[in-house]
Amino acid sequence: MELATQLIAYGILMGLVFALIALGLSLIFGVMNIVNFAHGEFMMVGMYVAFIISSYFHLDPLISLPFAAAIGYLLGVVSYHFLIHHILRGPMVAQLFGTFGLMLFLRYLAMFIFTPDVRSIKQGILVGKTLSIGWLTIDVSKGVSGGLCLLSFALVYWIIHRTKLGRALRATSIDAEAARYMGIDTKKMNALAWGIGGATVALAGALLAHYYYITPTIGMLFTIIAFATVALGGFGSIVGAFLAGLMIGLIMVLSGQYVSELKFTFIYILYFLVVVFRPRGLFGW
Amino acid sequence: MKASKRIFLFLFVSVLSILIVSPTLFAQVKEVKIGVILPLSGPLAPIGKSLKEGAELAADIVNNKYPELDISIAKWEGIPNLGGAKIKLIFADSRGDPGWGSEQAKRLIEDEKVVGLLGAYQSAVTKTASVEAERAGIPFINPDSTSPALSKRGFKWFWRVTPHETWFTKDLFDLLDGLTKGKAPGVKAVPKSKLEPLAVAAENTEWGAASLAEIEKFAKERGWKIAEGFKYPHTAADLTSETRKMIASKAPTFLFAPYVADAILFVKTMKEMKAKPRLIWGQDAGFVEADFYKTLGADVNGILTRDLFSAEMGKVKPVAGKLNEMYKKMTGYDFSGSSARDFVGVQVWAHVLNNAKSTSPEAIRKALNELHIPGKELVMPWKGVKFGSPFPNDTQQNELGSGVINQYQGYPDGKLHIIYPFEFATSKLIYPFPGWK
Repeated sequence: MELATQLIAYGILMGLVFALIALGLSLIFGVMNIVNFAHGEFMMVGMYVAFIISSYFHLDPLISLPFAAAIGYLLGVVSYHFLIHHILRGPMVAQLFGTFGLMLFLRYLAMFIFTPDVRSIKQGILVGKTLSIGWLTIDVSKGVSGGLCLLSFALVYWIIHRTKLGRALRATSIDAEAARYMGIDTKKMNALAWGIGGATVALAGALLAHYYYITPTIGMLFTIIAFATVALGGFGSIVGAFLAGLMIGLIMVLSGQYVSELKFTFIYILYFLVVVFRPRGLFGW
Repeated sequence: MKASKRIFLFLFVSVLSILIVSPTLFAQVKEVKIGVILPLSGPLAPIGKSLKEGAELAADIVNNKYPELDISIAKWEGIPNLGGAKIKLIFADSRGDPGWGSEQAKRLIEDEKVVGLLGAYQSAVTKTASVEAERAGIPFINPDSTSPALSKRGFKWFWRVTPHETWFTKDLFDLLDGLTKGKAPGVKAVPKSKLEPLAVAAENTEWGAASLAEIEKFAKERGWKIAEGFKYPHTAADLTSETRKMIASKAPTFLFAPYVADAILFVKTMKEMKAKPRLIWGQDAGFVEADFYKTLGADVNGILTRDLFSAEMGKVKPVAGKLNEMYKKMTGYDFSGSSARDFVGVQVWAHVLNNAKSTSPEAIRKALNELHIPGKELVMPWKGVKFGSPFPNDTQQNELGSGVINQYQGYPDGKLHIIYPFEFATSKLIYPFPGWK
C-alpha cells in the first residue's frame, strides 16, 4: 500500500510534466501535420530562462515562468514565420529536416552561449523544499509543477474548446482548405499553434528547471518521450496527450521499481503496439 | 615577353604556390598526429570537455618548455628523439556512441593518418574503437576506461594505462573491512551490522554493468550481504523509483556506479526523499566530475568517491600539486581522476614516441611493451607505468597503477580529501554520512 501510494504519486507528478511537454508537439502536429524535432530544444530554452533569472538576476525562478512562456511563444511564432512557413511548400522530407536543423541550431547555440556544463537552480522559494504527508515525501517544486501543468492544460483546453479562436484552430486542423474558404486566416492559426506549442513546452522547461539539471543537450531526452506520448495519446488530441503523459509517467516509475534496466523498453513496446494496432493513437481523430 | 623570362615567371609562380599551399612541406619541425576520441557532445559532454583539457595541457607541456616542472616532458620542447617533432592532438567526438566512436577511429586512421589513438573514456566506446585500431595495426592507448574485460581480449595493439574496476572494487571492500576494524582515520571500529547490507545502483552500459558484477563478486568473497543491486539506463529522465527502492531496502550503505547527469539526479532525489544512509560511495565517473559538485554544492558533503586523484595530492606529491595548479589556471577547476588520467595518456604517448625513435607502428609497439615510466613523473599516485598482466588474463595492462577513495568535505568551498589508502589520508573520515539539510 505504502509502495503503491508512493509509486503512483511519483508517476503522476512526472507524468504531468511529460504531458505538458507533449501538449505542444501534439497541437502543432494536429494543426499542420508537421513533426517538430526541435520541441525538446524549446523546452531547453525555457530551462535556461529560469536559470538566467535565478542565477544572473538573483530572482526567484518562479518569476521566470511567465517570461519562459512568453519567450517560448515568441520562439514558436518566429520559427513558424521564418522557417516552417517556407518549408511547408517543400516535400515531406524537407519539413523533417527543417525542424531537425532548427533543433541542431538551438542546441549548439545554447552550447556556444552556456558551454556544455551541467547547471542547476539552487535558490528559490520551492527549490529543495520537501513536504511529508503520511508515507509520502514529495519535493514541493515537483508538486507545484504538477499543479501548474494541470492548470496550463486546463487553460489550453479552454482556449481550444471554448473560444472562437479555438474553434478556428480546430477548423484549421480538421480541414485547412475548408477553413480558408470560411474566411479563417489559416496562416495565423498555424503561427498560433506554434506559439502555444512553444509557450507550453518552455513553461514545462522552466518548471522542470526547479528540480532538474540543465544542459544544452537535455532536449533530446524529453523529445523522444514526448513523441511516444503523442503517438500514444493520438496526434492532435489534447486529452490524449494528457492521459498518455500520465500513463508514461506511471509506466516509467513502475518499471523503474521492478526492472529499471528496461524502463524505456516498456514505453517503446507500448509505442510500437499503438502504432501497429491503433495508428491514430488512443484519442486521435 | 622573352621565352626565358616567361619560364622564370612560370617557375617563380610555381614555387610560390607550392610554398603557399603546403607550408608544412618546408617546416623544419615535424608533427606527430595522435587521434583522441572523446565524448564531446551528448550527456557526457561536460566530462569529455575536461578530458580534452587534460590531454591538451599534457601536449602543451610536451611541446613547450616548462623549466619549473620537475618531469622530463617539461624539458623536451617536442619529442627529442624525433627531431623535436611536436605532438598534435586530433580530437574526434564519439557522441558517447560505440558505433559512432568506431567510425571516428576509422576516420582518424584512414583520413587523418594518425600515428596512434588515445581514448575513449566510456568502456563501450573504447571497446569498439580499439577494434578498428587492432584491425589497422595502429597502437591504441587507453588512459581512462575501467571495464576489466577490455584488457582481457588479448589484443596486440591495445594498452591500458589506468587501473581497472577490479582494483577499485578491491579498494572499496578494503575500506569497508578497514572501517569494521577501526583503521579508518578518526573513526572507531564500526560494527559490520551498521554497514550491512549494501544497496547498489549501476548504470547499464559496459562500465556500470562491469562495476556491479565486480561488487557482487567481491561482496561474496569478503562476506558482505547485498540487499538490492540493479542496473538502470543512465539517460533516464527520472530516477525516483530507483531511489525509492534503495531506501526501501533499508541498507545503510549505498553504492553507485553512475555517469554525471544520473549521479546528480540520484543525490537530488535522495535528498528529496530524506534518505538516511550511513555511507554513500560512488564509483568515480559521475561522482567526481566538476559538474557534480558545482551543481550540488553543499549536498555532496560526506559522500565518498572512488577516485584516482585529489587536489590535495599536492601535499603528498608536489609535482601533482603544480600540474593541478596549471590545469586549474587553464580551466577554472581542479583535475579530476579522469582528466588527470588523460593527461597521463598523452604523457605516455610522448615517452613511447621518444623511446621508439620512430613513428612506425611496430617500433611503437615494441617501445610500449618495454616502457617503464617511474611514479615520480606522474600526476597520479601510482608507482609508475609498465605494461604487464596484474590480474588473471590481463594483457598489456599497466601493473603499477592504484586508486584512492576520497571524501567531499566542506563544500561548496571545500576539498576532496583522501581517506583511503588510510596511510595517505589527508583528513579524518566523516562517518556516519551527515545527511542533507
